[in-house]
Order: sequence, then structure tokens, then C-alpha cells
Amino acid sequence: MNRRKFLSILGSAGVVSALSTAREAKAGGTHSFPYYEGSYGVLHDTTRCIGCRQCEAACNQVNNLPKPQKSFDDLSVCATRRRTSAREWTVVNKYVVHGKPVFRKLQCFHCNDPACAAACFAKCFQKQPDGSVAYDGTQCVGCRYCMIACPFYMPGFQYDDAFDPLVMKCTFCAPRMKEGKLPGCIEACPMDALTFGKRSDLIKVARSRMRKSPGKYVDYIYGEWDAGGTAWITLAPASGTATAASANPAHDLHPLDLDTHLGNRPIGELTYGALGAVPMIVAFWPVLFGGAYAISKRRDAIHEAEKEAVAREVKNDISYVVNTAANKVAETHGPAAADTVRQAASDALKVCERPLRS
Amino acid sequence: MRNGTTLLLLAAVAMLSAACLTTREALAAPAQEVVDYNVSPTRIIFPVGEKPNSAGVGMRPTVFNHLVHEKKIDNCLSCHHTGETKACTTCHTMEGKAEGNFITLTKAMHTPVVAKRPKGEPTPQSCVSCHQQQLAQRECAGCHSIVSVAHATRKTSYCAPCHNMTPSITKAQMQQGSAGVLPDKDKVALAAETMSAQKSVSHLTPEDGPYKVYIGEIADKFESNLFAHRRHVESIMEKLKDNKLAQAFHTQPETLCATCHHNAPLSATPPKCGSCHKSTIDPNQPERTSLKAAYHLQCMSCHRAMQVARPIDTSCVTCHKPRAPQRTD
Amino acid sequence: MAHHNIIIPTKDKLFNLGEFSLRRPGNLVTAVILAVGLIITVIRFTQGIGSVTNLSDVQPWGMWIGFDLLCGVCLAAGGYFTTVGCYVMGMKHFHSAVRPAVTTAFLGYAFVVIALLYDLGHPLRLPYMFFFPGTTSVLFEVGLCVATYLTVLFVEFSIAPMEWLAGKFPFLLNWRKLVIRCTIILTIFGVTLSTLHQSSLGALYLIAPGKVHPLWYSPFMPMFFFVSSMAAGASMVIFEGMFAHKGVHHYMDATHLREADEIVFSFSKAASFILFAYFMIKFTDMLVQANLPYLVSGYGLWWLVEMLFFILMPALLYAKGSRERNLKLCRFAAANTVLGIVLNRFNVSMIAFNYALPSAERYFPSIWEICISVFVVTMVVTAYRFIVYHMPVLYEHPDFKDAH
Repeated sequence: MNRRKFLSILGSAGVVSALSTAREAKAGGTHSFPYYEGSYGVLHDTTRCIGCRQCEAACNQVNNLPKPQKSFDDLSVCATRRRTSAREWTVVNKYVVHGKPVFRKLQCFHCNDPACAAACFAKCFQKQPDGSVAYDGTQCVGCRYCMIACPFYMPGFQYDDAFDPLVMKCTFCAPRMKEGKLPGCIEACPMDALTFGKRSDLIKVARSRMRKSPGKYVDYIYGEWDAGGTAWITLAPASGTATAASANPAHDLHPLDLDTHLGNRPIGELTYGALGAVPMIVAFWPVLFGGAYAISKRRDAIHEAEKEAVAREVKNDISYVVNTAANKVAETHGPAAADTVRQAASDALKVCERPLRS
Repeated sequence: MRNGTTLLLLAAVAMLSAACLTTREALAAPAQEVVDYNVSPTRIIFPVGEKPNSAGVGMRPTVFNHLVHEKKIDNCLSCHHTGETKACTTCHTMEGKAEGNFITLTKAMHTPVVAKRPKGEPTPQSCVSCHQQQLAQRECAGCHSIVSVAHATRKTSYCAPCHNMTPSITKAQMQQGSAGVLPDKDKVALAAETMSAQKSVSHLTPEDGPYKVYIGEIADKFESNLFAHRRHVESIMEKLKDNKLAQAFHTQPETLCATCHHNAPLSATPPKCGSCHKSTIDPNQPERTSLKAAYHLQCMSCHRAMQVARPIDTSCVTCHKPRAPQRTD
Repeated sequence: MAHHNIIIPTKDKLFNLGEFSLRRPGNLVTAVILAVGLIITVIRFTQGIGSVTNLSDVQPWGMWIGFDLLCGVCLAAGGYFTTVGCYVMGMKHFHSAVRPAVTTAFLGYAFVVIALLYDLGHPLRLPYMFFFPGTTSVLFEVGLCVATYLTVLFVEFSIAPMEWLAGKFPFLLNWRKLVIRCTIILTIFGVTLSTLHQSSLGALYLIAPGKVHPLWYSPFMPMFFFVSSMAAGASMVIFEGMFAHKGVHHYMDATHLREADEIVFSFSKAASFILFAYFMIKFTDMLVQANLPYLVSGYGLWWLVEMLFFILMPALLYAKGSRERNLKLCRFAAANTVLGIVLNRFNVSMIAFNYALPSAERYFPSIWEICISVFVVTMVVTAYRFIVYHMPVLYEHPDFKDAH
């Protein structure tokens, strides 16, 4: 293989790889939304929810979760602020907003670009084309970074399991969806407070509900953009006067524990800056410290050379002095005396040289 | 009286009138004089504009029964917010004028929510905003928490009850009306003709509907529900018997049915709920609720808005007899 | 040099375990802690994490991550700090500090990994991160860098055990020569990896903007963690030296003793600068992020305590100490800094984490979690003692004079 051939092969390989990455970038999605056209979602209309806990019971049943201590007929538990856990993948909480009870169902929001998936270092979480965020426990290391990352405090962990503790969260009933069935909670809801459909349709449904009943809803679809958008979106009732509520949706959403400060970009993107610096540091640090090393070595070398030059000079000076002195002695006392002087001088030098050297 | 809202409303009205009487005597005095009509109890509101209306076209004028409205309202300032008894079109024209703060006639009449004025100034009402507020009354709230008559969702049939000028109005009269120069005698004649043409609607009676309805298509955990259809209709009609607003706006014989029997053409024999609502949500039509939810949403929204204490939302057995657990033989 | 009072293991007598069997309070305490730790270990691995910890779904990372991992890695920064100073920057008088620093760094990282196994739900699956690399994860970067750096540290440290065992297994001499030849490459590799994972520990929390209090949360957290790790590295060398002088003074040779004070002053000077820089970037960040209003809250007060008494104060003390050549002051400043770094990591991972939650849902470590952390520290100390008793760490081996 001659040089030209080699270079042309190298060049074409470069072009091919560049093209393939370009195509990949297009298909894999620059981070814009929606990531999966036609993915499913759920619209949770809290104005419809009556806090009957049928969704909790259905979730418990279809997912074969352990039976709770208090039965699902006991509606008083809604009053205590609960969160999802490994045993309860969904809970309904009662919030009292301006004196009126509002019920909200909590479960995994199935983000469009989930923070848990960005955080997982063993690739357990995957956003699926059907809209669900799937978790594969077989490769879970149990580090629980997903739970740190989740802005909604959703995943739960089986702390009491010694040998196969896993992260647990709502699966969007992906196995049921594959069979063509609706998720358990949605089927159970007697009020259609949970509306199942294509996410893109649900946004329109939400808007049309707002339009049809002015003043009923907060003018904010929670999850449309929050944290980069979620598959499960929530409508909240407007409280009090319409004018005050529309001024700041957070005012009505915060009492429902809906955090409006998450921003409209995927949470995982917050770490991309730091991760992006990694290759830069890998590339630059060795050069920087290699350079520093070279500088310090050069400095040492110069220092050493200077020291030697000084030592040589001193030696020359001394030998000049000794010689001059010996010549003088030879003139006055004869050559034997001069030799004695030379001998004495070199002995004296030897004694003082040793500490100089070490 | 268990209706707190009404009590509150009454108190507010009383206080308002008291305030009006004491502080705005100057305004109240001429307002009372207006009761002496020398023309007719009705007014016609034309789409008055600055531009010459040579073609004589435009929105159908409204015949406004001043007397009926005046009796319902304690404070003239609600509409005559400037304190002067001028016609609305003096300041609010189709294009808007500086005197009217460039608020057009359309907006002045139809805006559903009027921004609160600063302290001391009365907040005016538009036709729509005032009517809308009436819907908060208990007898209206049931249906109207489900069927919104908000301006934003109006259909053409929504305009007709007010924009009711007789079709016999001539182009010349329309032209003059738009310019604000139609003689009073013409106005009287037009108004009289319009009023006489209006027929009172004879609504369907409770007896036209079924006595009881079995709802059992989706009976699973519970027995079929027996819905007392006639009793519900009777109770609503009884409440609306003397309600002039309802009489004016419920213009079709089947209007009252349309809250529950919605989305289909008005008819004495509407389609069954199950013909549209299926037992589960169709993901391709998420806006259409499932049958179970359709019933619950209708029943509960109405009961909640009418402040019917019974049943509690989550108490299934009030309406549904639990079905005995199925035996496995 | 005089080695006559240092017990150097020979070919025939490799082990020098007598120190451990002495009836001294230190040994007794060690034995008790190790025994308790072993019992908790058994409970942890047979009954689950929940049986010994107060961890919950809202606080999935507690003491074991906040102290063992975050502080452990940070306080082991002395390794890269000293080697860079000595080999790259050419500060030859640090030489006698290199081996102790590398030893503690290696032990620190090794036991960080061991402590991590307690916290993982599936400790045996730790290598899965290489099979299913989640490249979007900061934790993946941390894991990869820590694993690689631990290897680098092991190689760097391996000179000491090789010198110890060379008498018995002469083939180790060749390896030793190779490692020494690679010193500079290993050092640069080490500092690169350290920069990455020290900063990434801060980057771990970038993903939880709503959970970490705004005074501690910042897009510059990676930088804060890295800069503070340098200060921690310098301080730990001084801090460890202080204890080493108390405990294993009789294993130090004359060179070590002669250079020790000079090292303290040099490191103090460096740490003083770094801490000032750290203070400035944290302070500026607070201003830039418009967090000033938060200062008048309880957390604001706590933040000020951290900033003033655990960053600014040690910086000033270090400056004064190195200027006046006051050994005691420098050591006090070192302890102050180490405490401050631990406090900072605790704040980010536990105290200011989930700050918005009601106090009933907040986390406080269980006694057993603390016991395990103490157990791990004790293991580090014990391993350090073993190494010091056997290997030429604090002294030069008479057979390998060329090493320095």
C-alpha cells in the first residue's frame, strides 16, 4: 500500500463516519420535542377527581403489589400527605386549596426525556415509543441515583429486600398496553379524571376544556413543558377570583405540590455541561501538566547548569590563587616549599568540598 | 335559609343600595325619575357607528326591555356607570369613541368579565357579565356548571334571543338607526312588532319523558341503577317556573333536556348515552368520556353545583345497590 | 542515615504484627469497632439496607454517600495534590510526603469502593456499569474515573509493597523499575482523572436543582468540589501527618522528620491561596445567582457559618501560620479545613438536601449507619498502620536509596 492509497482510504473512512454520525443525530433526535410522535399520555383533571382511591386499588391489583394495611375503601388516608413508594406506585392525596378539597393522583409522570434515564449509569431506564418510561431491574445496581434525579420524587426503593432490592415505579402498565388494554388506574377511574390518549391529542383536549369552562381551570397544563414535558399532564382548578389566579399559575399549582420551577428543559440537560467538559479535560490536562513538567525540568536544568558554571569558576579562581601563591613561595622559599603549599591547599579543598557536593 | 350565597348576595345588595342612597344621592335622584316612561318600556339598541351605513346592513338590533331589567336591578350605576342616564351608544359605538374610552359597543355589551374599577368608581356590567352572574343562582348552577354559555363558546343560536329585531325592518330604518337618527315613532312601532312576534315557548313536560330509567349497561360490581328521570325534570322545572331569565333564553322546547342529552340535535327522543359513550375510553377519541364517567360527571357536577348534599361523591351505595359477590359454581 | 531504631522487615522476618497485639487503648478501641462493624455488616447483607439505615424514598443517599463517598474521595485528594507538586511542579522537598500521601489516597479510594458496596442494593452488579454504560450519567463518569484512578493509585503505591517483598521475591524488582520509570505519566494521568471525578461528585447534584438549597446549588458545583478537593488534599496531608507523628513517629527516618515541617508550611501556603480562591468563587456565585435574599433565612445563616468559619477562617489561619512558621496554627487550620470540607459535603448531600420538605420527612442517619462509617475509617487506619509497620512509607528502605 502506498502513501496515497492509504491517505485516500483514511479520508473516505472519515467522510463515511462523519456522514453516519450526522444521520444518527437526525434520527436519534436533537433534543427537541416531541420525542416520539404518537406516544401515549394521560390527562389528569383534578377538578374531576373525587378521591375514591379506585385507581390505587386497581394499580395494586394489576401489578400484584403487596396488600396495604388499611383497605382502599378507607378514604381518610388521602388526608395525610403521602408519596409513591415501592409498594404503592400511585397514591391520591387530598389538598385543601382555599377551603375546598382537591384530589391529585401521584405517579410517575413518564417524562419525555426522563431525568432518571439520564442519571442511570447502567441504562435501566428507557423512554419507550408508547410513552412509558420503562425500568429494567435485571441490570439495576441499586445506586438510587435515579431517585435523587427524579424531580417529582416518584421512584421508590425496596429497602427491606436484602438480596434483590429494586427501584419501583409506575410502569404505565406497559405490559397491559401491549395486550391492547388500558392501564389499570385509567380503567378503574369512575370519573374519567384520568383520560388516556395520544399526548398530542390530550394537550388539545386540555385546552378545549379550559375554553369550554372559563374560570374553572388554572391556565396552565402541568407537564406540557415542565421538566421538558411529561406524558402524564395535569389540570388544576383555578381558585378564587379568575383574575388573581391567571396572573400566576404557580399560586394555584403549588398548593397541589406541583412544582412550577422545574424549567422547560429536560432535567438531565443540567448535567450535560459538566459531562461535555470531560473530553476537554482529558485532552487538555495532560498537555497542561506535561508542559508544567517540561518547564520545571528545564528550570532545574538551567539551575543545575548555573550551579556548575559557578562551581567551575570558583575552582578556576582557587587554582589561580593557589598557583599564584605557590609561584610566589617557589620564588622565595624554593620549589619544595611550593609543593608543600600545593599539597596543603588541595587537602584543605578536599575537606571543604565534600559538604559542598552533598 | 341554608343557601348562604343568596344570603350573602342579599346582604351585598342591601349594603350597595344603602351606600348608593347615602353617598350618591345626586345620582340616585334622577335614576328614580326615569321610571316615568313617556315612550315605551322597551328600547332598541342599534349598532351605532361613525361610518355611514349606506347599505343598511349590520348586526340585527336588539330590543331591550328596560322595565324588566330595571326592576331586577337596584342600582342604575350597574349599567349607567357614568352616573348619567344616557344611551349606551352615546359613548360606545361600533368603532369606539374617546368618550367611551374606545371600548366598542360589542365589547361593552358582551365582555364576560369586566375588569374591576379602582376604589370609589362603580364597576359597570355588560349584558353578558350580568347574565353570567345570574347563573350562579342555585336553580341555574346545576345545568350551567356543565353547559357554559360563556361568550367564548357561543353559537349563532346564542345570539338570537337578544338580537331579535323583526325582519320587517327596512334598510332605510336600519341606516337611520345606525346613525342614531331613527324617529321615536318608528322605534316604538318596530319594538311593538318585535315583541308581538315573540311567542312563548311551550317546553316539554316531565310527562313527555320516561318515568324511570334503568341504567345497567355496565353493571359489574353493582346492580342496575334506577334513575328517577321524571322526578329530576319536575324538580328543575318547578325551580325555573318564575325565572324570567330562563324563560327568555331557554328558547326551544327541548332546551332543558340538552344539558344531559347534549351534543345531539334537540329532540324529544334523544339517542341513548351508550350510543356515543363506550364502556372504556377510546384512545383515539380521548375527549369522549367513558360511559361510567359520563354518568358520574353529569350527576355529580349538577348535584355539586346545586348544593345537593346527598349523595357523597365517594359513597357508591347511595345510588347503586351492591351486587352479591358472584358465585363460582 | 540512621535506621537503627526503625524495625525494617527482612527476608526472613517479613511480618511485624507485634504493634497490633500491644495492650494499648488504641488497639482495644480498634478491636471493638471492628467487631461491631462486622456484626452490622452481617446484618446489612442479610436483612437489607432498610434494616440498618434511616434511608427513605425521599432521601435515597445518606451518610454512606455523604460521608464515605463524598468526603472519602475528597479527603484522599492528597495523593494527586502531592504527586503533582513534587513531580510535575518540581518541588523536590515534598518528596518524603509523596509516599504517605499516595498510601493514604490509595487506602482512601479502596475503602470508598468498599463502603460503596454497603450502600448499593446490588453490590455484586457494580461492574454492570461497564457492560451497560449509561454514558449520559454523571455517576458513570464518577465510577469510571474512580475505578481507573484506583488502578493508577494502586500502581503508584505498589512500589512500597514491592520494596517490602523484593527480598523474598526478587522478580518484583523489574516491576518496580518499570513503575518508577512511568512515574510522571502516572502522575499526569492521576491528576486528569482526579480533576474529572472530584468535580463530577459535585456534578452529581446538578440534576437535583429543586432539592438542593439554592445557596448550595449552583451550575458551578463541579468547580466548587474540585477546588475544595485541592484544599482538602493539602490539609489532609498536614492533618494525617499530625496523627502520624503521634502514632508512628518511630517509623519515620531523619529525612522525613527534617522535611516534615517545611512540607507543612509549604502546603499551608498553598492551601491558604486555594481556600481564598474557593471562598471568592463561592461568594461570587452567590451574588451572581442573586441568592442574597436567602442569606436572611436559617439556611442563609448556616451558609454563612460554613463560609466564614470553615473556609475564610482556615484560609486566614493558614496564611498566618505559614508566614510566622507556626506549626500548631497550621495544624489547627488543617483540622479546620478538613472539618469544613466535611461540613460542605454534608450540607450538599444531607443538610441542605430536600430543604423544602417538612421536617418529619427529613433524614437523620441511624446509629448503625454512623457505626459503619466509623468502621470504614477504622479499617483505613488499621490498614495504614499495617502498611507503615511493614513497608518503606515513612522511611527510605536502605536497599533502595535511589528511589528518592
